[in-house]
Amino acid sequence: MEALVISHQKQIGDKMLEGLISGLFKIFTSNMMNIPLIEPLVDYLMQIPLVNLLVALILWRPFFAVIILPGLVGLLIYLLWIVYWERKLTARVQWRVGPIEVARPIRGAIQALADGIRYFFQEAIIHREAHKIYYIQLPILAFIPILLPLLFIPAGNVVGIKTPYGIQLIVAFIALIPLFIVAMGWASHSRFAYIGSLREAFMYFAYEIPFIIAVVAMIYVYGSGDPYVAVEKQNIPGAVLNPLAFIVYIIAMIMATSRLPFEIPEADQEIAFGPFVEYSGILFGLVMTLLYEKLYLMALLFVILFLGGWEGFYVGILGDFCAPLVLFIKTVVVISVLVIVRSVYARYRLDQAIRLGWTSYLTLSIAALILGMFVGVLV
Amino acid sequence: MIRVEKVELNLVESLKRHVEALGEAFKQAIKPDRVTIEYPRERRRYPLSFRGFIIFNSEKCVSCFRCAQICPANAIQMEAHSKPYPSIDYTKCIFCHFCIESCPTGSLNSSKIHDVAFRKMEEMVVSANMMVKLPRILKEEKFTVDVIVKDKYWKLLRKKEMDDLSIPPIKVEVPKKIVTCAEPESCLGCRLCANVCPREAITVKEIEVAKRVVSYVLKVLTEKCVGCGLCVRQCPMNVLKLEVVK
Amino acid sequence: MEYEIKVPVQPPTELQSLFIPIPPEYVEEVYRSEDFLVLVGPQHPGSGHMRLIVRVHGDIIREVIPDPGYVHRCVEKIAENRLYIQNIPLVERPSIMDALNFNLGYVRAIEDALEVEVPKRAKYIRTMLAEICRIGTHLYDAAILAVFLGHTTGFMYPFGIRELICEVLVRITGARFTSSFIIPGGVRRDVDEQTLKFVYETTFAIEKRLKSFERIFIKNPTVIARLKDVGVLTKEEAIKFGVVGPFLRASGVEYDVRKVEPYEAYGELDWDIPVADAGDSYSRFLVRVNEISQSLKIVRQCIKNMPEEKLKDFRGTFFDEFADIVLPQGEFTTLTEASRGTLIYSIVSDGESNVPYRMRMITPGWLYLRGFMESLKGERLADLQAIYGSFGYFPPEADR
Repeated sequence: MEALVISHQKQIGDKMLEGLISGLFKIFTSNMMNIPLIEPLVDYLMQIPLVNLLVALILWRPFFAVIILPGLVGLLIYLLWIVYWERKLTARVQWRVGPIEVARPIRGAIQALADGIRYFFQEAIIHREAHKIYYIQLPILAFIPILLPLLFIPAGNVVGIKTPYGIQLIVAFIALIPLFIVAMGWASHSRFAYIGSLREAFMYFAYEIPFIIAVVAMIYVYGSGDPYVAVEKQNIPGAVLNPLAFIVYIIAMIMATSRLPFEIPEADQEIAFGPFVEYSGILFGLVMTLLYEKLYLMALLFVILFLGGWEGFYVGILGDFCAPLVLFIKTVVVISVLVIVRSVYARYRLDQAIRLGWTSYLTLSIAALILGMFVGVLV
Repeated sequence: MIRVEKVELNLVESLKRHVEALGEAFKQAIKPDRVTIEYPRERRRYPLSFRGFIIFNSEKCVSCFRCAQICPANAIQMEAHSKPYPSIDYTKCIFCHFCIESCPTGSLNSSKIHDVAFRKMEEMVVSANMMVKLPRILKEEKFTVDVIVKDKYWKLLRKKEMDDLSIPPIKVEVPKKIVTCAEPESCLGCRLCANVCPREAITVKEIEVAKRVVSYVLKVLTEKCVGCGLCVRQCPMNVLKLEVVK
Repeated sequence: MEYEIKVPVQPPTELQSLFIPIPPEYVEEVYRSEDFLVLVGPQHPGSGHMRLIVRVHGDIIREVIPDPGYVHRCVEKIAENRLYIQNIPLVERPSIMDALNFNLGYVRAIEDALEVEVPKRAKYIRTMLAEICRIGTHLYDAAILAVFLGHTTGFMYPFGIRELICEVLVRITGARFTSSFIIPGGVRRDVDEQTLKFVYETTFAIEKRLKSFERIFIKNPTVIARLKDVGVLTKEEAIKFGVVGPFLRASGVEYDVRKVEPYEAYGELDWDIPVADAGDSYSRFLVRVNEISQSLKIVRQCIKNMPEEKLKDFRGTFFDEFADIVLPQGEFTTLTEASRGTLIYSIVSDGESNVPYRMRMITPGWLYLRGFMESLKGERLADLQAIYGSFGYFPPEADR
């Protein structure tokens, strides 16, 4: 009798699980990516139970946007590329060769991967004075403001959460990142880290307002905070529609991600890498890539606002995959060109940067806003 | 006199300079003026006047100690072989090559080697028989780089060849000298000169001139003397002198 | 509105254990006021081998007390135990990139004492070598300045160009630096025509490369923003604090030992001294940039006007010629314009021993240290590195 009850309960459980799986499967398949290139493979895999759930999940559009492209996997590929490329480009400008010894036949192309592996296995030292709990968890927590904007960045049909306030939300979440850097400097309990956090906070005020004004100017131009509307309206690229906002945004990207000439929070010669001075091992690997990730997010928004987003070429065989790919390529190209500033400029002083931010830069952004209003009426 | 003017930047000038700097960076990024020599995969060719690892020729050495005495870093010690030969302590050597310049017979010579590796600290004291030939070359890619400056342009010329690291010994033209005794009557008979002579070319004999009056006769065997001058520096009375042989 | 904070402030106890060369009362006084002491160095990436005890009021530097001597190597004392000729490699060690100027000053003191006549060709070769070293040192300092400002390209370019300087030196002397090439009565060996031609061509190649450097660093607006009106020394201050060399000329004083008391071949050549009036970090840098082009001019003239003469080769007779130098009794002093300023050598001889009784060597770094410290007053803490770089202060040279 007891056995019967158990088997009955088991049956109910099985049924519930089955219902759940079929329900999930229905949700996934209802919104699946359509890529003609891999369609035969997908069709074959869909016949296998459980594997089909996995395939459906991966090809489920919101999942694809956040995890694959332009999301996490894209971010990882970008990181491996940009760390290598930045070093190589700087070396070229400086009459040097750059990283070459790791995998010599391909000119050291996997240098960033090798460094990443080294960071991973290196001992992460937590020094005595550090606030241990926050010190360890902050580099990991800093991924939250990195991942959240990815939810709202659309690429054609592929989007995490579709909302008419996408651009505003992305800006809002990007603005959270400096908070974590400041907190890291506080948790490190070191003088250099403290000064670095302070500088980071000051720089935050210098660039954030013109940056938001530049984005608002572009929202005026398009008349909406919806990325879809923004891309739709860009028959002429946004860079031409509002060149002032374009310049302001580029400077904001450089300032926000501590690139030279605004590499003030890090400043190795003055305060030895600022807020990140005490980190080592995998924790350092995480915090070092933090600003590159921020740059990636800002560049994604930059491409959507100024360079026509995912509109570009369309290859029929790639189907839905084409839009994320175009967006990703545009973003990486933009960043690859942008990193040349590292080898051109010297570092400004903090007061000079803030003065610049609050005077000419702010004026330029307000001019961009006014221009944006006019253009918005015309377009 | 050149007066350096104070720089005043207006907006246009500053923008122009921004563009110039960025333009230079892009120009270099596209067509870099690279100057890297990928040592040890390729080796820069050094001139024959290069001051490197010191090579020793024991046949020419006359054991005159000049190298050891001129060495500013005190890196050269004379070692006992059949004759005293120099050994060089490369922990101390500063490659000033005063020893090579001082060597009257040209038994010390330079080479183009500047990168000798030692396994232990003790090995860095290189004795004379280790210096007679070039150190063993373990691994080297066969590229040699020449620095060429032509038409105001500096470039590196790579050739697939091994550079000869030895430097042909330069013939040293120093007149042969032997030691002579200028004032035999002042000789004390201390025999320091005879003791120091590596060739046993000096003999000091005691002669009784009168009762309880002893004199000394210092004799130099000219065929044995190589003119190292050690005795000259030892003599407390400064009676010995080096003289040029005609 | 300011509020007075009435909290009894205790100076941190670790300051007592750091061996700072200032009285504890001073530390206490600083902490009773609203200031702080910041110890920059000796492990700080932007301090070099010295410690700067900086008294800051907020971000503004009130006073800086230098703590040099971390790389003191007793050059003067060691020199008392070595033969005159053995001191040549020693005196060029304090400033290895400027080796030949240091070498020249010392050798000239010996020549003064012995009243040796130097062949004219040797004089030209010496002048040429000294100027090549001057270019190399100015490039080195420019590179250090660039890296203090965070400009890595500005660091790599001068070091790239310096490679040509080293190539020239290795072809002439056989060593990339510290060549010990100048000896009493001339140079160690003659320079052949082919090498001279190479040096001549190289001066143009350096000029061409400097154009790139100029576009990317010297004229860069961010560099100008960092250096202009920072660390100003007026003409009066510069004279008062005994600043020397290009840093004195940057404050508007036309003083150059090469012009005032020409030595070697400087009197016979046509060249100018660059002078600036501003006295700030940027003009200190620009004066040296202009000096590089003047030095190139001198090198070219030296090669063109090089007299044909056979120089003595000292190979084989080096020991016999120089080991037994004994200077006559007295004190012999020479002034030399090294790259960073006036270099003073003073040799005291007792007239009978073959080692100096006393060798006094006053390096430019030591002379302008006071001016360097004074120019930091009233600047921001972040400018400390910019001013440091603009002076090209080299602790091993100052500490000897």
